[in-house]
Amino acid sequence: MQSRVAYCLMLFVLGLPACAVAQGLSHRPDAGMRSGFEAADVGPYKDADAARFLTQATFGPTFYDIAHLRAVGYRNWLNEQFAAPVATQVPYLDWVEGLPPVPDGNNTVTDSTRMEIWSINSVGTPDPSRGMVIPTDQLRQRMAFALSEIFVVSSKNGTLTYEPWALASYYDMLAANAFGNFRDLLEDVTLHPAMGIYLTHLANQKANSALNIRPDENYAREVLQLFSIGLVQLNTDGSPVLVGGQPVPTYNQATVTGFAAVFTGWNWNNTGCGPTTYVCCDENNYSNCGRYDHNIPSWKLPMQPVEAFHDSTSNKQLLDYPGVDLPGGVLPAGGNATAELNLALDNIFEHPNVGPFIARRLIQRLVTSNPSAAYIQRVANAFNNNGSGVRGDLKAVLRAILLDSEARYGPWQYPSIFGKLREPLLKNTQLWRAMEARTETGRVETLSPYPGIEDWYGQGPLRSPSVFNFFQPDYRQSGEISSLALYSPEFQILTDSNIVSTNNRLFSLSFCFYSEGESCWTNGHGAVMKLNTLRDASLANSNPGALLDRYSLLLMSGQMSPFMRQTLLNRLNALDDEPNRPLSRQRIQHALYLILNSPEYSIQK
Amino acid sequence: MGLNRRRFLRNSIAALGSAGICSAFGNLRALAAAASHTTFPAGDFKALVCIFLNGGNDSFNSVVPFSASQYADYRSSRSVLIANGGVAFDQATIQANALLPLAVQPGLPGGPPSDGGSYGFHPALAEMRQLFNTGKVAIVGNVGTLLHPITQAEYQAGTVAVPPQLFSHSDQSIYWQSSRPDDANANGWGGRMADRLYTGNTGSVPLCISLAENNLFQRGDIVSSYGMSPEGVEKLSYLGDGPESWVIPPNEDGFAAYNALLTADSQEHVFERSFANSTRDSIANYEVIDAALSTAPALNTVFPDTRMGSQLKMAARLIQVRAALGMSRQIFYVSQGAYDTHNNQVGDQQWNFSQLSQALKAFYDATVELGVASSVTTFTASDFGRSLGVNVDGTDHGWGGHHFVMGGAVRGQRFYGAMPSLRYDNNPDETGFGQIIPTTSVDQYAATMAAWFGLSATEIADIFPSLSEFNQANLRFLG
Repeated sequence: MQSRVAYCLMLFVLGLPACAVAQGLSHRPDAGMRSGFEAADVGPYKDADAARFLTQATFGPTFYDIAHLRAVGYRNWLNEQFAAPVATQVPYLDWVEGLPPVPDGNNTVTDSTRMEIWSINSVGTPDPSRGMVIPTDQLRQRMAFALSEIFVVSSKNGTLTYEPWALASYYDMLAANAFGNFRDLLEDVTLHPAMGIYLTHLANQKANSALNIRPDENYAREVLQLFSIGLVQLNTDGSPVLVGGQPVPTYNQATVTGFAAVFTGWNWNNTGCGPTTYVCCDENNYSNCGRYDHNIPSWKLPMQPVEAFHDSTSNKQLLDYPGVDLPGGVLPAGGNATAELNLALDNIFEHPNVGPFIARRLIQRLVTSNPSAAYIQRVANAFNNNGSGVRGDLKAVLRAILLDSEARYGPWQYPSIFGKLREPLLKNTQLWRAMEARTETGRVETLSPYPGIEDWYGQGPLRSPSVFNFFQPDYRQSGEISSLALYSPEFQILTDSNIVSTNNRLFSLSFCFYSEGESCWTNGHGAVMKLNTLRDASLANSNPGALLDRYSLLLMSGQMSPFMRQTLLNRLNALDDEPNRPLSRQRIQHALYLILNSPEYSIQK
Repeated sequence: MGLNRRRFLRNSIAALGSAGICSAFGNLRALAAAASHTTFPAGDFKALVCIFLNGGNDSFNSVVPFSASQYADYRSSRSVLIANGGVAFDQATIQANALLPLAVQPGLPGGPPSDGGSYGFHPALAEMRQLFNTGKVAIVGNVGTLLHPITQAEYQAGTVAVPPQLFSHSDQSIYWQSSRPDDANANGWGGRMADRLYTGNTGSVPLCISLAENNLFQRGDIVSSYGMSPEGVEKLSYLGDGPESWVIPPNEDGFAAYNALLTADSQEHVFERSFANSTRDSIANYEVIDAALSTAPALNTVFPDTRMGSQLKMAARLIQVRAALGMSRQIFYVSQGAYDTHNNQVGDQQWNFSQLSQALKAFYDATVELGVASSVTTFTASDFGRSLGVNVDGTDHGWGGHHFVMGGAVRGQRFYGAMPSLRYDNNPDETGFGQIIPTTSVDQYAATMAAWFGLSATEIADIFPSLSEFNQANLRFLG
C-alpha cells in the first residue's frame, strides 16, 4: 500500500494524473452481482453472466454469442453445441495441398498449415477450404483443446514435427470424442499412430529373451499416470485416500510391466499398403513397414495388431481395486492383441480414480485452478453415472462442470482465489473473437510468427515440450500461491522471458493489424488477422468510458474494477488525434493492450 | 537457519490468513535477511551450472566398459550391435575412446573405476574425453534418488523405503531436483542453497538464473529464479525500448497506466498479485541484466551454434558481468531434451552428445578465458539412468546412472562411487526389472557441491535431511 502511495505521489509531482485520479477507487469488480439465488443452470440474466460462461466454454465471447445465450439459456445452448456440425482439420490440409503452388497459391503443407486451421476452427473465422463457412462448434473445439493438454502428443517429437496430417488427425480424433464416452476416447488415443509414435508403443513387441528385448513401458506408464488414474488412490472428491497418513499407490512396477505386455503387437494400419505404395506390416515386416509419406491412411487410422509380436503367453498384472472385474486384476494369458487391449482399457476405465482424476483436470482447464472438493465430487459423480447409468459420458461431465454452482458463482464464493491464469493462446483467441478479427483471404498466418508461437507464449496447439504438457495440474507458483498451498498450473509458463514475449506478441496483435490497414512489417499479407477497429471507432471517439465498458464485457465478463477503469480512461483521454493515427483507433488499441496485459484481466474469474 | 525457524515462518503465515498475506511476505523477507549470509568479500566468486538431460540419459551407453569381463557383462544386456540395428557398441570403438584415469592418491577418494575395469566414452563425447583425460572432468558412478542405502534383497523384499514412483519421468526428475524424495512438495536444492546465500550478493538479480525452462531445482522457500532466453533479454515494446516500440508515439501516459495496474500489493486476488509481482520482477531484472550485458566485451571463445551452445554462452556472459550484476554466487540451469530414447537411441544420443560435448568444452574454455575456471563447477543431472534391457533399438526407464562434473576445482580424471555390473542375469546390482540400484545418492552428489559452494555443515544438513543416512557426506570430487 505504502509503495503505491509513493508511486502515485511521484506521478503527481511529474504531472501525470493516471494514478492520482484512480487512487481512491476499488480494485474489486462492482458488487451487487448475482450470487446464487436461482439454480445455477437457470439464466443467464445479464450480459456479464453470459460472457463469463462463454469465457469458460468457448474461445471467447462475442456480441452475437452473448445475445444468443441469453435468448436460449445455458441448457439449450449446451444442447445446441452438442449438436453443432464438427469442424475438422485434416480436410483443410488436403485442400491446401491441392492449391496451385507459389506464386499463384501456396500449397506447402507444414505444421504451420495446421496452425491455420486450428485458428480458423478455434476463433471461428470463415474457412476458405469450405467456401468460407464459419465453424460454430465452439464448445467442442474448446474441449478438444483442453483434451489436447491432457492426452498430449506434440510436434516437438522429432518424427511428428514433419507430420501435420498425423497431428491434425489426432486433434480431429479428440474433437470427435469431445462429447462421447471416455472409454472410446481412451481407446482412440491409445490406437492413434501419432500417440503410438509419441509414446513409442507403435511396433512395441513382446519379450524376446534371446535378444534381451522387453516390452516398451512408456505408454503403459503414462496412460496410467497422466491419462486416467494418476499415481495415488483418490476419493471421489479428488483427495488422496490415506492409510496411516500416507497416500496409497495405484499401481507398481509389476502393473506397468503387465500393461506394457498388453500394448505389444500394435503397428501401422495397413489400409492402402502394397507393392506400389508402402510396406504392409506383418510378421515378416514389423520394424520397417507402414508410413513413408505424410498424407497416407496409416497416419490417420488406428493402429492394427500383428499377432506374432503380441505377448499372448504371459499372465498380466493389471490394476487391482475393489470391484475389479478381473480377479486380482490379473489378465490371464491367451488373448489376442485386440481382446487384451479391450480388457486392459476396461480395467483402467472402471478404476474409481478416473472420475475425480479427469474431473479435476477438466475443471482446471475450463473454470478454476483450485476447485473445491465438493465441486470435484459433483463432476466425478456425473462421470460415474450420467443419470441414466452410463459411466464416462463426457456430455454429462461438461454439463456438470459448466452448470455447477461453483462455476457460476465462484467469484462471489471465493473472491480472492477463484479462477485461473489465462493461457496466452486463449488471450489471443479471445481478442480475435471479441474484435471480430478476419484475414483478407481466409488463410491465417498470424499464429505462425517467427520463431514459432510456442516460443512467444510458452505453448502452442500440440506443441508441448513433453508429455507433461506446457504446465502441470499440481504446479504451484513460488511465493504467496505456494504458501497458501494453492495450485496454479498456467503460472508454470509465466516465466520471465515468456512474460515479455507474450506481452510483446499481444502488443503486435493490438497495434499492428486493424481494419484500415497495418503498421508493422509482416510477410503474411492477405493472411494477417486484422482487428475490426472500425466497429468501435465512433464509440471510441464519443465516449471512451463506454468503450471500456464494452471491452470489460467482452474480455473481462464485466469484472473490470473501478480503479482499473479510471486508470485506463485517463490514458485514453490523454491521447491525441494524429496524422495516420486517428484518435479512435489509438484509444481502441491502447485499451486492448492495457487490458490484455493487466493483472485483473489475466486472471479468468 | 534451521528447519524449526522455517516451520515457524510457515505457521505464522498460515495464522495470518489470506488477508494479511502481503505483509506476511514482507516479514518473511525481513526475518530471512536478518539471519542470512553477509556480503561475500571481493574476489570470492563461485558459480554452479546444472546441465539437466531431460528424459533420462542412458549413461550405460555413455561410459562403456571395454575390458573383457565388464564388456562381456555389457553385451549380455546389450546383445545386438549397432551395426545390426541394436544399441551395443563394439569393443574396439570404446577402446579407441578410452578414458585414462589417474591412480588412487593416498588420502584422496577417486581413481580408476571401482570394478577394476577399463572404460571409454561414447565417441560423440570426444571433447569431454579430452577434458577427462586432462583432469577437468570427473565421473561419479551410479548416482540416483535414494532415501537410504539399499540392496537388491532389501529392494525386492520391500523392507527399505525407496523414493515414490521410481522410473516415472515427472517424479524422478522432481526428486533429482529437490533431493527430497521424502516430500513431494519440497522445492529445489539449488533454491534452498540460494535461500541461504542470496543476501551475500549485493545486486538485485536472483542468484538462480535459468537459461532453459522454469524448473524446480532453482525454487527456494524465499528466492525464485530468473528465467531468460539464451539469446538475451527482450524488453517490453509498450514501455518504449522493445522490438516494436517504434509502432506507437512516445507513450509516457501509457507507462503510467501500465505501471499503475501492476502496483505492488494493490490487487484484490491472490493470482492477480502473483501475476503483477512476476511481471514487475521480470521488468526490473531485464533492465539490470541488459545494462550489464551491453557494456561487456565479446568473448573470444567460440561457442557452437546450438541450443546447448547458446545457453552455455549466455551463462558465460552472465559470469563475465558478475561484478556489474553484484553477484558473488550464481546458480545456472541449462537443459537439453530428447534423452528418452525408447527407440532410435543410437542416432538421438549421437546428436545429443555431440552438441553437449562441444558446448561444454567451449564453456570450460570460456571460464579459462575469464579467469574463473576454478570458480565454476558444471554438473549433469537427469530423470534417471536407463534399463539394462532394450526396447529393440532403444532402452527403457531406469534408476541409477553415471554423471559428469566439470571445472577447474574438480579433482578430475577420476571415477568416484561404484561402477555397477551391467550383467543381464544374476546381477546383484539391479532391481530384478533391469534397472540399476543407485549406490550413491543424489544427496551425496549435491551436498558435495553445496560444501564447495560455501554452505556450512549445519546448512547442508538442513538442505539435505536424508544425507545422514549415507556414510559419506562429501564425496570430495571437488577440492
